[in-house]
Amino acid sequence: MPASLTGHTRESLTTWLTERIALYLKRQPSEIDAAVPLAEYGLDSVAAFGLCGDIEEDFDFVLEPTAAWDYPTVHALADHLIAEFAAAEGGAS
Amino acid sequence: MSEKTNVRRCAGGSSKGQGTTLTAFRTFTELVLARTDALGSKDAFIFLPDDAKGSAPQHLTYRQLDQEARRIGAWLQQNGAAGHQVLLLFPSGLEFVKGFIGCLYAGAVAVPAPLPTEQGNHFTRVSGILRDAEARAVLTDSDNAPDITAWLAAENMTDVRCLATDAPDHGDAAAWTAPALTPQDLAFLQYTSGSTSDPKGVMVSHRNLLANEQAIKNSAGGDSHTRYGGWLPFYHDMGLIGHILQPLFLGGSAALMSPVSFLKRPHRWLQMIGDHKVTIGGGPNFAYDLCLRRVTDEQLATLDLSSWRVACNGAEPVRAETIRAFTERFAPAGFRPETFFPCYGMAETTLLVSGTPQASRPVILGVDSEALEAGELADPREDAPSRTLVSSGVVNADDFDVRIVDAETFKEREEGTVGEIWVRGESVAGGYWKRPLTNKEIFDAAISNGKGGQDAGGWLRTGDLGVLEDGQLYVTGRLKELVIFAGRNLYPQDIERAVQGTDKALGIGAGSVFAVETDREHLIIVQEVRTSKVTTDLRTLATGVQAFVGREFNIPAGNVLLVRPGTIRKTTSGKIQRTLMKQLFLKGQITPLYEVLEPAVRELVADAIDRPLVPGA
Repeated sequence: MPASLTGHTRESLTTWLTERIALYLKRQPSEIDAAVPLAEYGLDSVAAFGLCGDIEEDFDFVLEPTAAWDYPTVHALADHLIAEFAAAEGGAS
Repeated sequence: MSEKTNVRRCAGGSSKGQGTTLTAFRTFTELVLARTDALGSKDAFIFLPDDAKGSAPQHLTYRQLDQEARRIGAWLQQNGAAGHQVLLLFPSGLEFVKGFIGCLYAGAVAVPAPLPTEQGNHFTRVSGILRDAEARAVLTDSDNAPDITAWLAAENMTDVRCLATDAPDHGDAAAWTAPALTPQDLAFLQYTSGSTSDPKGVMVSHRNLLANEQAIKNSAGGDSHTRYGGWLPFYHDMGLIGHILQPLFLGGSAALMSPVSFLKRPHRWLQMIGDHKVTIGGGPNFAYDLCLRRVTDEQLATLDLSSWRVACNGAEPVRAETIRAFTERFAPAGFRPETFFPCYGMAETTLLVSGTPQASRPVILGVDSEALEAGELADPREDAPSRTLVSSGVVNADDFDVRIVDAETFKEREEGTVGEIWVRGESVAGGYWKRPLTNKEIFDAAISNGKGGQDAGGWLRTGDLGVLEDGQLYVTGRLKELVIFAGRNLYPQDIERAVQGTDKALGIGAGSVFAVETDREHLIIVQEVRTSKVTTDLRTLATGVQAFVGREFNIPAGNVLLVRPGTIRKTTSGKIQRTLMKQLFLKGQITPLYEVLEPAVRELVADAIDRPLVPGA
């Protein structure tokens, strides 16, 4: 079941994102620095689509595949998701 | 007939008896008309739209396909497109199928191409295709028609008509007339070859198409009960000929989804196999890898892969580790070892050349790396590097003649030695559209007898290196500088040009792109940088390149070396020596100003530097 959009922190989403992205990039989570651009690790569109699919599955939230390029680090993505989740929750209630 | 020892008949052969009736069709158009007449209410295609929550499958029966093809065919005939090329620009979905068959009904030549607005594709490539193919009309859907019309206007191609096939007020099925076609007439142009600036369309005739559909049936098996299933792009040769036209050829059916659906949620592909009882289907090796990494234990527990009889693995190098791991991981869901179907082929042969015999497991062979580099197959030695080859199956002598030929002398090589793969047969296309000189060289090569004489010619030079042993075809490498990622052919010059466009400090024509191999392929970008023009720092420059390549070409760009001007080696005529650059890179002989490398690539280079030089090297 998809998790709720509320109650996420930068830390919790950073952990979640780092684990998923490490899987796509065939690296260990410890190798991914949340402040380093993901392109530097070889992020490609296959990985970006995978990330969007996982976010849809786990949070029931549709993210555009371009987000991985517009918010190029794990930290930037985590902050973007928090803002988007808050907006979606606000709009739904 | 003379049976060469290295060419063996395909096992099984259950389809042989029907061969004569199928070849009674002179064109693929006749075949589709006969199928739609006989199979009216049967589902030809089921499309699963992309939706997080899982949306309702769309069905297209044979009768509906016939009606839509008549309507679209009539419109094309009324708009002067019969006998001319028609560009197909669709998202994945049933409209593509209707449009493609509509072209066959009109007697037009279909030209499938990627939709520019999808997946970072750009109009640049289709603009090249539009001009090269001299298309008279473009078929698309109503969502994309405004963009396509604007693009045609911007290209000054306003005489090219554009039709949204899902707009019901166009075309009158009753006005359609059956085209007078011969087997030599072209069915479609397949633009998977050539760089963006120089696209090449493979000319596939009705005869070629019927011959290859028969070859696929001979190799993979299948009948009117067969259900194909897959997620490949519809314009891709393996997607189109393998997963759309083969089911029509068989009078069977197919369940299809889009590449984006698969990339987002790989388990959906496997779920579709169970839900729709898919028997045949597959994709490039990376698809199986993606399933291994992404499908969770919970998802695995819900899968039923027991209907899957043939899992094609082709269009990029087949990896033994992937075969082993996938077979083991998905065995609890009913996946059988003999289901894996490594195969070999290309657009130039319409599609398939060889495949794994039915009910046989893939043949895997360990060989000595050094001997292989010297062109021989030899057993692995202890304490020496070895390589594991996966056989791409056997060549059916009814469909193809395949030889291994020395690419320099054009003399045939012995069994067990490496050379260029040369192919001859009814499936081999007539050549590239409007390229007589290239066609003479690539599609009409002749084998030399070594004494100044040669055979009658007519051989296709594939540009792939391979070896035949015990009837098995092993593909071992490539002569051409093509880079293959996720089943897509990429041209280094396209990537190099794009890299140089990201910043003014990056020298035009002063870069080299190539791939190196560990347990997978890695793209390496070596680019000269004029330090006086750098306005940021080198790391930012490199990251910009990586993001651009990752986004625009859908390739992981984990390895970038920024180097001093003069580092890129060129021939006296200015051609970039990519093979030499790759050798220098692997020996650690490129000194970068800045580099970022993936850990696996860093290890590969370090190992090569530590290894003593091979005698004679």
